[in-house]
Amino acid sequence: MKDKFSTFDQIELTRRNMLRGMGAVAGTAALAATGLAPRGAMAQDMPVVRAYGVPTAALKDWSPLEASLGIKCELNGTSNDVGVFMRDIMASNLGDSTDIYIFESGTEDILGPRGMYAKIETDHPELTLWERTSDAWKRSPVVTDEEGNQWGVPVIGNADSFGYVPEAIGVDPASEEELSWSLMFEDEATRGRVAYGQGWSYSMPSAALYLKETGKADIKNVSDMTAEEAAVVADFLIERKKAGQFRTLYGAFEEQIQLLTNKEVDVINCWEPAVREANNVLGENATRYAYTVEGYFKWGHGAYVAAPAMERDNVDNIYKMLNYFLGGEYRALQARDRGYAGPNMDLGVAYAEENGWSDAEIEALRATEAKVNRKFEKPFTSTTTPQNASDIEEQWQRFLNA
Amino acid sequence: MTMNAELDAPMTQTRPKDKGRKPAMRIPVATVALWVICAAWTVLVIVPLLILFVYSFFSTEYFQTIYEPSLETWKGLFASGRWEVTLRTLRIALTVTLIELAIGFPFALWLAKGARSQMARAVFLALLTIPFFLDLSSRTIVWRAILGQNGLINTVLMSTGITDAPLDWLLYSEFSVHFGMIPALFPPMVLPIYMAIILIDDTLIEASNDLGATPAQTLWKVIVPLSLPGVMAGFVFTLGPALAAWVEPGMLGGGFVNLLSSSIESAYTALRYPVVAALSAFVIGLLLLILAVMALILRHLGGARLALRR
Repeated sequence: MKDKFSTFDQIELTRRNMLRGMGAVAGTAALAATGLAPRGAMAQDMPVVRAYGVPTAALKDWSPLEASLGIKCELNGTSNDVGVFMRDIMASNLGDSTDIYIFESGTEDILGPRGMYAKIETDHPELTLWERTSDAWKRSPVVTDEEGNQWGVPVIGNADSFGYVPEAIGVDPASEEELSWSLMFEDEATRGRVAYGQGWSYSMPSAALYLKETGKADIKNVSDMTAEEAAVVADFLIERKKAGQFRTLYGAFEEQIQLLTNKEVDVINCWEPAVREANNVLGENATRYAYTVEGYFKWGHGAYVAAPAMERDNVDNIYKMLNYFLGGEYRALQARDRGYAGPNMDLGVAYAEENGWSDAEIEALRATEAKVNRKFEKPFTSTTTPQNASDIEEQWQRFLNA
Repeated sequence: MTMNAELDAPMTQTRPKDKGRKPAMRIPVATVALWVICAAWTVLVIVPLLILFVYSFFSTEYFQTIYEPSLETWKGLFASGRWEVTLRTLRIALTVTLIELAIGFPFALWLAKGARSQMARAVFLALLTIPFFLDLSSRTIVWRAILGQNGLINTVLMSTGITDAPLDWLLYSEFSVHFGMIPALFPPMVLPIYMAIILIDDTLIEASNDLGATPAQTLWKVIVPLSLPGVMAGFVFTLGPALAAWVEPGMLGGGFVNLLSSSIESAYTALRYPVVAALSAFVIGLLLLILAVMALILRHLGGARLALRR
């Protein structure tokens, strides 16, 4: 590829595939007309890439993939519980029946060196968009380990903060000013009106970030605290819990939506789609997702190839799938449906323009890119597998039991 | 010779026509069955429990179990207050079970002996089985819309002027967890007690009355002892699910009622199998203690003999 920022390859790929798809459809239609081919035979005959991972990475409808690449993706979903995910891979020989895994960053640090993941062949002929993908995405800790080994391909990412009810905290609903995480932890106006995630890996680092950035605690690595650092954060959270700061500790995505739509709380550290869903019920800008002063819980999902899959005869299709995650169609659909960004956002905009999306939808894609770029300038990048996981989890229990 | 004496006769005793033949070796079926059951019990229950206990003396580092014996996990159990989770779980489970018993026993007694209409009995029994056909999460989450700050109860209380502000403790508290568990665990308590009481011969109750016993004496001297097997079954069927409760504490406790299930789940996210093993071992120890106390109470009331009667 001569110009790594060019959209030429992606556009050409789309056109070529469209022609190929039209030919296939025309052929099938002709066969169907003569009664020789059953309806849906084309979809059934497509090669399949079997995936296992979080459903967040799935398209709401995979048919655009089938039309574009002529392959099917069968995704078996799992929760975002890293323990369950790693146990399934390590103890169940999942690689014998699965081609790719899709999960939040961190598992590659353990499962890569242990031989569960295959290294990515960045020069594979089907991985045509690799070169043009920025290092910020493709060489991020989401898909590489500490030694720099490339274990995955970036799929989606976002920078999580907290959802809030502008009216309740006295902020203009249209404002994009940066708010402090103190609204979550210390603000008198929100005391008793805050929902806090019940999982240690999602919630504890945000509290650590707040303490570190406001100079209230000396924490070296927010995403991998030592036992002593985690104890300081737990002490702070226990004190806030006893002061009545938290209305509830929630456990699931559905609860995030319910807490916002029921107006049971005014502030909640949650996923961005929860705010979207709440606004679908309450109206535009009834709830907002915060830009913050201190930083964000930055996360990314990677696609990792199961090591045994490299011994099977489906490798080309697997790499087509990996390339699809880097392409415009997947990027545009994910951004539109979930508000998540990812690598090669410009290809997503190009795809939307070529496919007749409305100006508002195209503008929303650009806004998603701008939003993520703005947020990614601040700390911190999360991991699901901190080295000190046992100590952090232990301190989190202290908070829960206080 | 009595029949028992015949059965007890030595196996070598042979009938006259078998004289001169080598006696066939006979192994009593009951003995074989006992050994099979013991062996199965050992393999399926005792050995896994021992493995569980041994596992609790290992530790976890970076999502990997370290197979070196240490007390680190047990120390952590107490340092983090996790042991309190087991006590809290036991306390809530026992409270719910006793409330169920207090409500369930009179209801079962009325259903078995007081309800004159067969139709009413059939309707109530059908109503008791309905929860088994509905998903527990769906049944539980409904309470959030009723008990929340903007829920039905608080809305009624405030609109009628009974309270000025919403009652926070209605939801996300130990109260709401108890409240959610009681309807869910009512059928497992009532149905065994009902089965035990309905089997009590009415002539025994009539005889007690004819002999001048007051209704209270008939209840304590006749009905309660004869229904003890059902009470014990109901106790166990309620206590077990209450100890393992996950849905109600999660949905109604708001994270402030940290019970065994969620503590184990949290440890599992860091693949801390030794912590899971230690928590489980600790609970099993406490359960054995409770069962021993129950056995003593049962012996005192003569229930052990009743439970084994034919």
